[in-house]
Amino acid sequence: MVKRLQQGDAAACEAVIRAHHRFLVAMATPLVGQGLADDVAQETWLKAFAAIKGFEGRSRLRTWLARIALNEAHALLRQYKREVSLEGWGVDSGSPIASSFSDKGTWSHPPAQWHHDSPEALLTEAELHECIRKHLHRLPGDQRSVVLMRELGGLEFAEIARATGLSEGNVRVLLHRGRQRMHAMLNHFEEVGTC
Amino acid sequence: MLTCKEMSELGSDIIDRHLGLRTRMAVFMHLRMCWRCRRYIKQLRLTSQVLQQLPLDWEPVDTAAILDKVRKHAE
Ligand SMILES: [Zn+2]
Repeated sequence: MVKRLQQGDAAACEAVIRAHHRFLVAMATPLVGQGLADDVAQETWLKAFAAIKGFEGRSRLRTWLARIALNEAHALLRQYKREVSLEGWGVDSGSPIASSFSDKGTWSHPPAQWHHDSPEALLTEAELHECIRKHLHRLPGDQRSVVLMRELGGLEFAEIARATGLSEGNVRVLLHRGRQRMHAMLNHFEEVGTC
Repeated sequence: MLTCKEMSELGSDIIDRHLGLRTRMAVFMHLRMCWRCRRYIKQLRLTSQVLQQLPLDWEPVDTAAILDKVRKHAE
């Protein structure tokens, strides 16, 4: 795929845009706002296609794109003399599964047995895709951002901390809360069979 | 001794291997005797992997318009 991109294959270019554009916009939105997120994504493609020959495949393509997008987002903010304004970000909302434990800290509602035991198996459930997307949207903004950057984007904790102005420890807590909520959603799906 | 609740709080540090030696030992001991936490940690890892592999091409994207601007820029 990367080889075809480097040769300028039009179909490959379209496929790669289709696969990652939504991700880039979603990742940029909390940093620069909805209005500028499309610009960040567009600028990312300009830079990416100009530099694709230098892509050595040491990271996933999406991670490489995410790095370019973060640079573009910060360049755009500098240009407009704005700062990333992430008010109220990074405050720990507490465990979303606190009620699953007794006073002594043992499980009173342990997680259900799941029918699927691999990510591939889970992702064959078309209904689940829809459900995951819905719940990703419902995550608090800071958790959603960190989940997007880390899980979907594959960025390092240090990079995410730099991009958001949060501490690395803070990023880890937000990621954990986001994962916990998404786990609760998957657990519900496995238990009940619907979103 | 770690409680199950404390184990759930350590969940991401466990799957990301971000633990000091002492905590790692305590986690290991707890997991050996607690199937509920074994299940939770396993499922949390699965959740993380599902997110990593989630395809993101559900909404249509105007690829032609984007490529158009890329080409104009390259000229
Ligand atoms: Zn336990």
